[in-house]
Amino acid sequence: MKRLLLAMLLWHAGTALADDVLHLYNWNNYISEETVQRFEKQCACRVVQDYYSDNEEMLAKLAAGATGYDILVPTGNALEALIRQKALRPLDKARLPNLKNINPAYLDTAFDPGNRYSVPYAYTLTLLGYNVEKMRELKLPTDTWAVIFEPEYLKKLKGRVTVLDSQRELLAAALKYLGYPANDTDEAHWKQARDLIIRAKPYWAAFNASSYIKELTIGDIWLVHGYSNDIFQANLDAQNARRGFTIASSIPREGAVLALDSMVLHQSGPRPDLALRFIDFMLDGKNSAELTNLIGSGNPNLDAMRYIKPEIAQNPAIFPDPQRRSRLEMLRDLDRTQRRILSRIWTEIKLR
Amino acid sequence: MSDQRTPAARLTKWLVSAPPLIFLLLFFAAPGLIMVLASFRYPGEFGGLAPLVADPGTLHGLTLETYRFFFSDFIYTEIFLKSLLVALATTLICLVMAYPLALLIARSPKRRRDLMVLLVILPFASNFLIRIYAWMILLGPQAALSLMLNGLLGLFGVAPVHLLFSPFAVLVAMVYVHLPFMVLPLYTNLERHDPALLDAAQDLGASAWQRFWRVTFPLSLPGIFSGSVLVFIPVLGMFAIPDILGGTRDMLIGNLIKEQFLGTRDWPFGSTLSIMLTLAVLLCVWIAARLGGRRPHHA
Repeated sequence: MKRLLLAMLLWHAGTALADDVLHLYNWNNYISEETVQRFEKQCACRVVQDYYSDNEEMLAKLAAGATGYDILVPTGNALEALIRQKALRPLDKARLPNLKNINPAYLDTAFDPGNRYSVPYAYTLTLLGYNVEKMRELKLPTDTWAVIFEPEYLKKLKGRVTVLDSQRELLAAALKYLGYPANDTDEAHWKQARDLIIRAKPYWAAFNASSYIKELTIGDIWLVHGYSNDIFQANLDAQNARRGFTIASSIPREGAVLALDSMVLHQSGPRPDLALRFIDFMLDGKNSAELTNLIGSGNPNLDAMRYIKPEIAQNPAIFPDPQRRSRLEMLRDLDRTQRRILSRIWTEIKLR
Repeated sequence: MSDQRTPAARLTKWLVSAPPLIFLLLFFAAPGLIMVLASFRYPGEFGGLAPLVADPGTLHGLTLETYRFFFSDFIYTEIFLKSLLVALATTLICLVMAYPLALLIARSPKRRRDLMVLLVILPFASNFLIRIYAWMILLGPQAALSLMLNGLLGLFGVAPVHLLFSPFAVLVAMVYVHLPFMVLPLYTNLERHDPALLDAAQDLGASAWQRFWRVTFPLSLPGIFSGSVLVFIPVLGMFAIPDILGGTRDMLIGNLIKEQFLGTRDWPFGSTLSIMLTLAVLLCVWIAARLGGRRPHHA
């Protein structure tokens, strides 16, 4: 009985300590467990995470009235939407000394000029992922979108290619290949991109945004239009399963899409003080590098580079040279009329 | 009869039927009305709807633009027709496969029937998505089915085919998922048939085929009708199966509607599409009910 009382007392003390709670609304698998534990120890608080798997899901949940999140990690276009909705708190930069670690190339974006609300967290590239051995065997190029759009290459890959099931991403790849900016909103260019996609489509296996990692890993699919983190994961899985082939990624020379995820403070969050501590903690090179080492994400933190595994730090498809980086574009949000027109073009693409 | 009209009985009747009625009102009628209203509004900038009342200069109020947009291009009608065809094909295949099975169960000894019914509904014990993912493996290019089929095709010099990510994969999974919904109503119907009717028909000289076609089949029409409705309607709205197993041209109306609410953030047009879908379903069911309702009179 005494022991039970003692246990209850200790338990109570534990919860009293853990009254400091930080609510983090983050992407699935987007922070290392060790990083979370280290922060919890440092701040003597508890981190409670909720997860989302795309920006729309997060925006929809907030639009439906979800509150109490201290920190969100939206991508550029969603960040822009949140700022315009006045859903974010301005950052007190005096409390973010580690902000100096961020590469200025990733600051002051069009989504949040002057970084009043956001601090870069990590980035993903949308690029080509491929089975190195197969592509070599078929003598196919891997540094151009042509390999995904031109029938002369595709005929060797019939049924072995998937592209993302995403209007914006696929359109961006086609626009880039045609020599237009990814954010081009000229309907005539969109229609050119549509025709390019419809011509290539008979050679593709599927529009796929979820299972292509597995398909690459088991060797059923040899070439994908996909996200850098996913392709990194596919290669890890293939190596762990001793598949005998390698999955690699490359940024096509025509350019590609870069999606920068940033940490922001939501208006509804009860603990902006803890949230700022967390952001500064994540801006520390060592903590930031842990995520990159876990999922192969791009890292805008200069101080993190020395903690990142060399095979990742030297991968030009994750950390491109300045010339390739100048060809990367971040997607802006479309207005409602453009969205409706694009949706109709997409329906045509899917139906033909 | 008379005691049913006492106040107490009436109260009981209301108490019993009130919860389902309120449920339908809250979760079916009200959302349906909201959807109708939403279809006449402008989309909000960040999803949702533009306000009904706002400063002049910003987009607000009611409009017919989503309906104009729907009819401005044949493509939306086309995707409806395509979805109707897939739903019709699934329903017919389910019917052809489920009928013999239901008949077999209905004519088995009583103690074995329960076990067989249990086997029919057993797949529900595992999650729907997991069963769909299982088909990805079964139909994959390295699976026994693909290897066997392509080996056979190779003998005749035909190029190998991909089973996964194809209309075939979508249809297989549609049939697989919805088959129990056809078997159960058919079985319930067939089980109630009076065996004496068949004996009588036989005594009057009817052959086995005649006994089926002139006695069993007409009597089972209500079962066929409810089974078909239970299969046809969910297939028409299905988006997960084409998403997961479909290839590059397997978009159905369900996928289009889902996309309006998520990626495109166009709730009004999504609502318009949903209303069109509801109307299409009601029309189909009405036609089927008229056809089904007439048959027994002729028989």
